[in-house]
Amino acid sequence: MKQLKVGIIFATFLVLMAACSKGVNKPNNENEHEAINKIELVFTETGGGSTSFVIEDPDGDGGNPPSRIDTIKLNSNKQYTLTVKVFNIVSGVIKEVSSTILAQATSHEFYFIPSGVSVTIQKTDKDKNGYPIGFLSSWQTAGAGTGSILFKLMHKTALKGPNDGPNVGHSDIQLNLPITIK
Amino acid sequence: MTCLTIFQAKAQKCNLVLSGVVMDASNNAPLEKAVVEIKELGLKFITDIEGHYHFYNLCKGSYTIVVNHMSCDSIKYKLTIQQNVIQNFKLPHAINELENVSVNAKRDLNVNSIKEVLSSKVVDATRGQSLGEVLSRANGVTVLQTGSTIFKPVIHGLHSQRVLLINNGVRLESQQWGTDHAPEIDPFIAEKFTVIKGAGALRYGNDAIAGAVLIEPKALPKQAQTNAEFNTGYFSNNRQYVVSGMLESSPVKHPDFSYRIQATYKKGGNARTPNYWLHNTGLQEFNYSVSAGLRKEKYNTEIFVSSFNTDLGIFIGSHIGNLSDLQNAIQLSKPLQNIDAFTYTIGRPKQNVQHYTLKSKSQIYLPNNSKLNLLFSHQRNLRKEYDRALLSNRPELDLEICTSIADINYESSSNKKITSNIGAVAMLQENVWAGSRFFIPNFRTENIAVYSIHNYNVNNWMFDAGARFDYRHLTTYRNQSDSVSSADRSFGNMSGTIGATYKISPHFKWLINGAYAWRAPQVNELYVNGLHHGTASFEIGDPNLKSEKAINLSSQLKYQTDSSWQFDLGFYNNIIDDFINLTPSVPATLTLRGAYPTFRFVQSNAVLRGIDFSVHKILNRSWMAGAKTALLWAKNRDTKEWIIQMPSNRIEGDITYSFANKILPNAAIELRYMHIMQQTRVPLSIADYIPPPNAYSLLNLDFSSDVVVGKKQFSVGLTVVNLLNQTYRDYMNRFRYFNDEPGRSINLRIKLKL
Repeated sequence: MKQLKVGIIFATFLVLMAACSKGVNKPNNENEHEAINKIELVFTETGGGSTSFVIEDPDGDGGNPPSRIDTIKLNSNKQYTLTVKVFNIVSGVIKEVSSTILAQATSHEFYFIPSGVSVTIQKTDKDKNGYPIGFLSSWQTAGAGTGSILFKLMHKTALKGPNDGPNVGHSDIQLNLPITIK
Repeated sequence: MTCLTIFQAKAQKCNLVLSGVVMDASNNAPLEKAVVEIKELGLKFITDIEGHYHFYNLCKGSYTIVVNHMSCDSIKYKLTIQQNVIQNFKLPHAINELENVSVNAKRDLNVNSIKEVLSSKVVDATRGQSLGEVLSRANGVTVLQTGSTIFKPVIHGLHSQRVLLINNGVRLESQQWGTDHAPEIDPFIAEKFTVIKGAGALRYGNDAIAGAVLIEPKALPKQAQTNAEFNTGYFSNNRQYVVSGMLESSPVKHPDFSYRIQATYKKGGNARTPNYWLHNTGLQEFNYSVSAGLRKEKYNTEIFVSSFNTDLGIFIGSHIGNLSDLQNAIQLSKPLQNIDAFTYTIGRPKQNVQHYTLKSKSQIYLPNNSKLNLLFSHQRNLRKEYDRALLSNRPELDLEICTSIADINYESSSNKKITSNIGAVAMLQENVWAGSRFFIPNFRTENIAVYSIHNYNVNNWMFDAGARFDYRHLTTYRNQSDSVSSADRSFGNMSGTIGATYKISPHFKWLINGAYAWRAPQVNELYVNGLHHGTASFEIGDPNLKSEKAINLSSQLKYQTDSSWQFDLGFYNNIIDDFINLTPSVPATLTLRGAYPTFRFVQSNAVLRGIDFSVHKILNRSWMAGAKTALLWAKNRDTKEWIIQMPSNRIEGDITYSFANKILPNAAIELRYMHIMQQTRVPLSIADYIPPPNAYSLLNLDFSSDVVVGKKQFSVGLTVVNLLNQTYRDYMNRFRYFNDEPGRSINLRIKLKL
């Protein structure tokens, strides 16, 4: 019967082990997403000043829609340089993560697809394979108008080529941004 | 020798048949794997699951029959054959022999539920495959697939929490709610797979609305035995190799002690469809288990430890960012997001899953042939799912779930006619999340249950009735914006079963069974809130869901003769109230990544009914043919529409040719044809991205035999899956939107017993 007693003690011990190593009653913050939840588009007019347009979605991949989408306002017949900045906001702390994406430049590419407005866009930065990235681009506007820009960041690990269409890879960002050219 | 005998038999026009059943003398249960031998002819037959054996083409004469079984004493019998003879054998239990695990498991069951035990031939033929693939060989069981590596068993159209998996006596507790979460069980651990169709497994839980699967290892070795077994396999399609070894012993010095160690390693690369490779579909698995047991006169006790570890690649082309990515992918007949080459390397997206089980089981023998069973177990499951490396290398989903179960059970069979089984189960479970994205909250579940099951045998009737009460308390802990809140839900209900079996003749039985089962809503159904990347959907739970309740009626007619016809016809009707189902809802969810279709867990009333039918005919000594079909109708009783994502109807036919010679003593070649119909029973109001794929047919060819080389004997098997290299897609594969199913694969397996 001695073994039996040992068995019962062992079994009791097993039951007591139920708890997971981490505390069940100390959950992580559900709203802390390691995701891009703020985007800033900085347009610098050639020989002129800079303007920023902001998009924000504080809960990231959460269920609430973006809280702020600025309308891009540009002047007609002007040359601009666009710098894209991406941020991660956690508990009110804003951290720019552009360099993290830039470090993975060989598997990322931005796309800007205008619709309803006349603007010519050229990506000006290149990854180490010589393929476009899109953190930097030049924008040449033509006449006045209102429309939208389909703004995408495509993630294409092992797939990126020199002249990919906008559907290669999967979307890290996809937004339809309103634009007005005066 | 066998060959010679056959020629002699032909020459003398000997055409007599000796057949029968080998049973356990103590309870008349059929004994599988008993060896029946005709000494004078050197002929051997190993009994099947029903204990049957047969010898054809015998000449008139006197013979010595020896019957052996590993857990019984052997018997010798003199027999004179003048005409066809049906001779049954009853084997007495060996002295000091203690009942093995599988015999106990049989007693635990409701005897009158529809069961299917996979034959050892099927078990051998599926060695090296995943548990889901193994179980899909049972009629009425299909798989829900995620690509070519993740298989979930589906019984009569239902899966996940509605199917209980009992691994060596312990119900598997992991993140079983996920449609892309495969069961964490190494099939090499087990020798016997029993599928219980319908809600009959009261002993193991109230929530087995669809059924249960018992995965059982063989009993530990007995006095002074040492055995070793080595299995290896190669699968040409994804260049997968598997090695599995087992060593078991009962030392001569301590004959009441025995142990077994077992380990499996598996590695596969990208799978290939007939036209292209599927990038990042490799897998790697390493599992081991140790068990040790002590058998005494008054009790026996066993400890079992197992570890299951897997890395599963997820096809790169299935990994999409949002709804428009999904629509772009669907439009293509060949995936755009793919690298058409072979590799063993697994990158993101992938899953890494670890599962640990610790179990102690004891039986105490009490007077009057009764027993007390004590079972304690602890399981720990770590699941990490990696979608994409964007801002860090952390997994997006990172869940740890720990479960402890204490199960006390009293079995009595004080008289031959009545056996009773009463017990209590307590379960404590905790779940903690740590990924970079929220999906399900932390929670703690406390579950207690009591049950009582009774069997009554009289004449040709066998009755059973059982009742069970479960109480479940669930506390969830959430942290939204740095303040922790908790919520409680409680669920309690009765469940029950009643059934009867009538033996119309020794070969023909009729079974009827009714069960009431319920299932408390699971945490994901209540509280999920997040992106599910594999399906590009945003899933939202409902904290006010009620328990799901099922009334399951089933009936079976089973006919089995030793040498000619066998058939098995089963009907079922499963009425489910408050059936919880993930249903599309508007509006779509908007994020910076784009739009995602929204899915919510909603309840409706459902009915699932169907027929499983199989027939086999032994044509002669060499040829056997069979056919089977599984039909299912699943309807939403509220909207009168079909229920989405249900397996379509299917038919199968097989023909087997057996032969024997000196080198191949028991060779068999089987050709199997499967026809999977297109699923046309889909709801019209719920738009799928594309209609269900077309019907398809597959041919599989299998050769198996023992091989004798000198004095050594081993078993080999060669299977060609998808012989004609068909291109097809399957409705039950969640990746049907993206890619074709794998093409032809030539699979080789070798088993060596020492």
